[in-house]
Amino acid sequence: MQDRALLRVTALEKSVPGGRQLFRGLDLTARAGQLIAIVGESGVGKSTLLNILAGLDAPDAGHVAIEDTILDTLDEAALTRLRATRIGFVFQAFHVLPYLTLRQNVALPLALVSNDRRAIADQAQAMLARVGLGTRGDGYARDLSGGELQRVAIARALVHRPALILADEPTGNLDPDTAAKILTLFSDAVREQGVAAIIVTHSAAAAAIADDVLTLTASGLERAR
Amino acid sequence: MRPVLTFAALALTAATPAATGYPVVRPGASFTFPREHGAHPAFRTEWWYVTGLLKTQDGRDLGFQITFFRTTPGTDAANPSRFAPKQILFAHAALSDPKLGHLLHGERAARAGFGLAQARIGDTDVTLKDWHIRRRPDGRFTTTVTTGDFALTLTLTPRQPPLLQGKAGYSQKGPRPEQASYYYSIPHLAVAGQLVRHGAPQRVTGQAWLDREWSSDYLGGGAVGWDWTGLNLDDGGALMAFRIRGREGKPLWAGGSLRRADGRVVRFAPADVRFDPLRQWRSPRTGALYPVTQRLTVRLPEGVRRFRLDPLFADQELDARRSGMPVYWEGAVRTAGGSGYLELTGYADPLQM
Amino acid sequence: MSILSARLALGWMIGGEWRAHPARLALTAIAIAIGVALGFAVHLVNGSALSSFEGALRTVKGSADLQVNATSPLGFDEALYPRVATAAGVADASPVVILRATIGRRPVTLLGLDVIRAAQVTPSLVGVAPAGIDRRGDAAFDDAALYLSAAAMRNVNARPGAMLVVTANGRTATMRVAGRLPGVAEGEAIGVIDIAAAQWRFDRLGRLDRIDVKQQDGAAPPRLATILPRDATIGSDASDATRSDALSRAYRVNLDMLALVALLTGGFLVFSAQSLSVARRLRAFALVRTLGLPRNGIVATVALEGLAIGVIGATLGLLLGYALAYAALARFGADLGAGYFADGRVRLTFAPAAAIGFFALGLLAAVAGSVLPARIAARAPPAAALRNAGDVIDPRTPMPVRPAAILMLLGGGAALLPAIGGLPLFGFSSMALILAGGIAGMPWLARTLLAPLSRGAGRSVPVDLAIRHLHGAPAQAATALCGIVASTALMIAMAVMVTSFRGAVDEWLGQVLSDDLYLRVEGGAGLDPAAQARLRTVPGITAIAYSRQIPLTLAPDRPPVSLIARPVVTDGPDPSLVLLESGRARPAGTAPIWISEPAARLYGWTVGDSVTLPIAGRYVVAGIWRDYARQQGAIIVRDTDYTRATGDRTRTEAAITLARGADPRTVERALTAAAPPALAGLVAIARPATLRRYALELFDRSFAVTYLLEGVAILVGLAGVAATMSAQTIARTREFGMLRHIGVAKRQIVTMLATEGALLGLVGGIAGITLGGVMAQVLVHVINPQSFNWTMATRIPWGSVGEVALALIVAAAGTAVLAGRRAIAADAVRMVREDW
Repeated sequence: MQDRALLRVTALEKSVPGGRQLFRGLDLTARAGQLIAIVGESGVGKSTLLNILAGLDAPDAGHVAIEDTILDTLDEAALTRLRATRIGFVFQAFHVLPYLTLRQNVALPLALVSNDRRAIADQAQAMLARVGLGTRGDGYARDLSGGELQRVAIARALVHRPALILADEPTGNLDPDTAAKILTLFSDAVREQGVAAIIVTHSAAAAAIADDVLTLTASGLERAR
Repeated sequence: MRPVLTFAALALTAATPAATGYPVVRPGASFTFPREHGAHPAFRTEWWYVTGLLKTQDGRDLGFQITFFRTTPGTDAANPSRFAPKQILFAHAALSDPKLGHLLHGERAARAGFGLAQARIGDTDVTLKDWHIRRRPDGRFTTTVTTGDFALTLTLTPRQPPLLQGKAGYSQKGPRPEQASYYYSIPHLAVAGQLVRHGAPQRVTGQAWLDREWSSDYLGGGAVGWDWTGLNLDDGGALMAFRIRGREGKPLWAGGSLRRADGRVVRFAPADVRFDPLRQWRSPRTGALYPVTQRLTVRLPEGVRRFRLDPLFADQELDARRSGMPVYWEGAVRTAGGSGYLELTGYADPLQM
Repeated sequence: MSILSARLALGWMIGGEWRAHPARLALTAIAIAIGVALGFAVHLVNGSALSSFEGALRTVKGSADLQVNATSPLGFDEALYPRVATAAGVADASPVVILRATIGRRPVTLLGLDVIRAAQVTPSLVGVAPAGIDRRGDAAFDDAALYLSAAAMRNVNARPGAMLVVTANGRTATMRVAGRLPGVAEGEAIGVIDIAAAQWRFDRLGRLDRIDVKQQDGAAPPRLATILPRDATIGSDASDATRSDALSRAYRVNLDMLALVALLTGGFLVFSAQSLSVARRLRAFALVRTLGLPRNGIVATVALEGLAIGVIGATLGLLLGYALAYAALARFGADLGAGYFADGRVRLTFAPAAAIGFFALGLLAAVAGSVLPARIAARAPPAAALRNAGDVIDPRTPMPVRPAAILMLLGGGAALLPAIGGLPLFGFSSMALILAGGIAGMPWLARTLLAPLSRGAGRSVPVDLAIRHLHGAPAQAATALCGIVASTALMIAMAVMVTSFRGAVDEWLGQVLSDDLYLRVEGGAGLDPAAQARLRTVPGITAIAYSRQIPLTLAPDRPPVSLIARPVVTDGPDPSLVLLESGRARPAGTAPIWISEPAARLYGWTVGDSVTLPIAGRYVVAGIWRDYARQQGAIIVRDTDYTRATGDRTRTEAAITLARGADPRTVERALTAAAPPALAGLVAIARPATLRRYALELFDRSFAVTYLLEGVAILVGLAGVAATMSAQTIARTREFGMLRHIGVAKRQIVTMLATEGALLGLVGGIAGITLGGVMAQVLVHVINPQSFNWTMATRIPWGSVGEVALALIVAAAGTAVLAGRRAIAADAVRMVREDW
């Protein structure tokens, strides 16, 4: 289990529309339970790389495979299905919908593919409990602090048991104490569930919990330590 | 509430007394022919009434009735309009077919004028659009009627002179002398002509009876209707009898005559005529109870003579209320030694006369 | 994954949105409701009026299979009656004399009938005598017996047995109410008398107005038309319906179109509101797209919202429309004050087909208004949308102008096409295309108009911010504005048309009312030659020109034209005849006629044409004159020619020139005194100023509903501006927070919003007014001539135009400020942190 490659990226290449090259020859492999942090200067293309991994952006060359599925062979509908079932997201700005209850927010990925209210609610509740918000399921986003909002987001990212979690500066909007707690929760959950996780971050604290820290440069990813 | 246009009720119902300027029928008038065959427009009501029996080529017996009425409403004579209702004409035709068991009938009505409807003075010539009865110079009558069910074109050939009813044509209808009509009949008319039914013409022959009557004040107060019969007797004689009924069927007046084959006439006083019902028939349409089989008893100088009048069939009720006419029974009857028509009025509703 | 499998998620999103913004959705639903209500109400009122009108016609006709009608109130010779009665295929024929009678000043249509014929042909016109009262057999032919319909009985306050004085055709007669006419429809004031009495008492000896015909075997008599003289035509249910339809069809279609405009504006409002709602939710949509919702899921979400808005709005609209129609019928009458359906009461008839139609239209407007912005949102790349706050503003993006230009050109082309079946369908398409083009061109227009402003510098910060925001995101502005542009354009178009029309009518009235006094005999009566001579001798009169006006049927399926017999100056210009065209040459043995512009257009006649009229004589068109009074056309014939052709010497109107210094009041009194006693109370004398005022009052009344509909359209449009302005403002809360952070004062933000609002209003106003001006040209020069057959010049109501522009600017600025105050009420830190 531990050595199974859930994400395999080979010879990836991408330029911005203006023509500047972000990176080329980028290779990356992530295994179950592995947490990889990607760091780099601003504008180096970290978020673009995440978007390519999620199938939201297409590379100029190279391939991305999630659980042996090669993304560039998929059409829009298949990519959408892949995201809904195999990928979880954590954003810097939380993106917890204000007009849904917290339980509904967490359940959203499940509700996109199933209409079994009961099962969905049970799974979402279990996941909320896992992130320490088991009693807050009927509340709304405006009742929560930033750290609590990110716990909800982490719960949402894991609730449908994805193969891969993509996190973009998950602690960017949080104070250091809260950030530390969230990172611990995140890494524990990732290892527990056996998913592969990619964190894009500037934060040393965030990098510290990762199994691998890679620096993104124009020539690809370099191991930082 | 009924449509106002009960023009039949209007013609036959003379609520207007003689006071409105109509001439009064008096005894002693002298009849001149052919003038009396023509219209007498000064009088309120007048009719040309033909009833008879027909035989088809295949030997079947049919009864028929063709009647032209004329009435003069009491309106302003000064009205110069060509539509002024100086004379109203209407006509009725009915066919009695025992195979059918009820009457086929049709009617026409119009105010006189515009060449569409007229009743000529001087000789019989009554036209109602496509219906007419005329007397030809040779003395024969022709008549044509067309209804939705049948059409008749007949020639009626007199074989006997006119029979003046009552006292030389003065026929009293009630106890008061002005309740009377001028009345003559031509019995034993030989009939030949054509009947069209379902588009198929067939020749018919037979024998008929023409009644001519004109009056201004026909029925007296208290009268609700009458029973009338005219019989062509096989020996060449002609018998006419009537009675005027009051409420509860009480006879108010009666009369009639018998012209024997040799031309002698016996006139009946009110006490000489009796109608006795033998069989009654109730109309499913109107609920009226008609004495369709009657025994007519007349007193003759040689003694009382009885005629049992048997209808061709029971349902010979003529219900033309839709056209504003009253309901009455007008049916072909047979009797031992003769045949003719029986008319029963005022059984459904009192005839308001 | 399909939308179906995601339906739970969709349900959450729609439900959440509705809980979060109930007022916004309610407002859009109400906009749809108003549009549907107006459309349905106008349609109901029109439909009810027409069916009542047709019902009335059928009653007066008494359900004959067909009838031979006189082409004018002069009737035809009664000798036609026996010829029709004996014609092949005629089962029966009932002659009728028709009189426009008054009983105690109340109008009653008096029919002279032969009761025996009517019983066969038109039994519903046969009177019933009440039992008990007068059973006299002769009542049916009594020349003083009068049978009245329930409405007539009520109007004249009579009961059976009453004696009434009846006036018609200048004669009076005393008649006894003999009974009722139970076969006549409720609301129709009809009396029936004997035909001979009608001819005798009311001076119609020898004349008939109609022969009702009962057909044989249900087929029209084959050769009936060939035996008719010129002054009689054959009419049937079909031709009557066509005729009554033609009478008001153009007016009704125009009203329907206006009502649809209100619905269209409602659709635009939904579009605005949903656009903003979608823009506000772009990040939410992007999130769920990232999480795995298919693209069409977003369209489905918004479309479902639109559907719900449509169902609620359209249902409300139908109820409201029915109530409105009921109130309008009770308050204004069936033609909403325009005077097309003068007689009779109108019952509201429910129209299920129309209800379904308007419901569907409301639904369509709501769904279309929702799907369009949703499709745009669904196309946005989710990653970018998630990062940016929705609307990606790039001031360098060129705004397309080609689609707008193409739509406008198509619209211009459609305006040149002719009417279809008397309806200006292409004209309306032209207006729709021009409107669509105008709205499509709004972003380009906003950018173009603001370009010079945006290049300027040295203004206050808030104004500069406002201009740059609008200049940078003109599409957003256009979204907010499309409703208001549409309603302004339509309102301006209508206002220009009505102003042009009113101005033309006013000017024309001034030209034709050139005499000092006008005399008119009411109630179908007239002045005979003796009375004319007597009036001529009234002191203070220099000249008196008598005229006669009768309706003349030229085609059985068209309403009659007015035939006007009057003296015409032929050796010079006639001042009371405003000629548009005239000709000189005329073949010998013909008489000249001058036809009105509508008559010329309706019957396709031009100057010099030989024309056969249903009166004796040969006629040639000598001129075409301007006439705004008689939509169905009018023909002027010299009084001498008229008398020669018809023998009719009666005159019903007179134009009087006073002697210098004569007192109009004195002459009026003297004229009234000199009128025949039979016409007492029927002679009306008026001065030109009174007539002019009356005519303009009539005009304004007939356009009152038009004004009302316009007003509602504008209100819906303004509501749209308010809703969209506030929504946009609230969506920019974070932007305001940032501005506060960097030191922009609250007051300055409000100024910025007010400026933006005012600029939006200005741009919308300019666009709406320009579009409206163009559409007005289509209304004035295409739709009006094609509907009403008269032409006019354009007049622009500068006052109203200015007011509309000002109202727009103030409303837009005001709502922007109101919304802005609410948006900046919160503290700045929270505003920046605000996530959504």
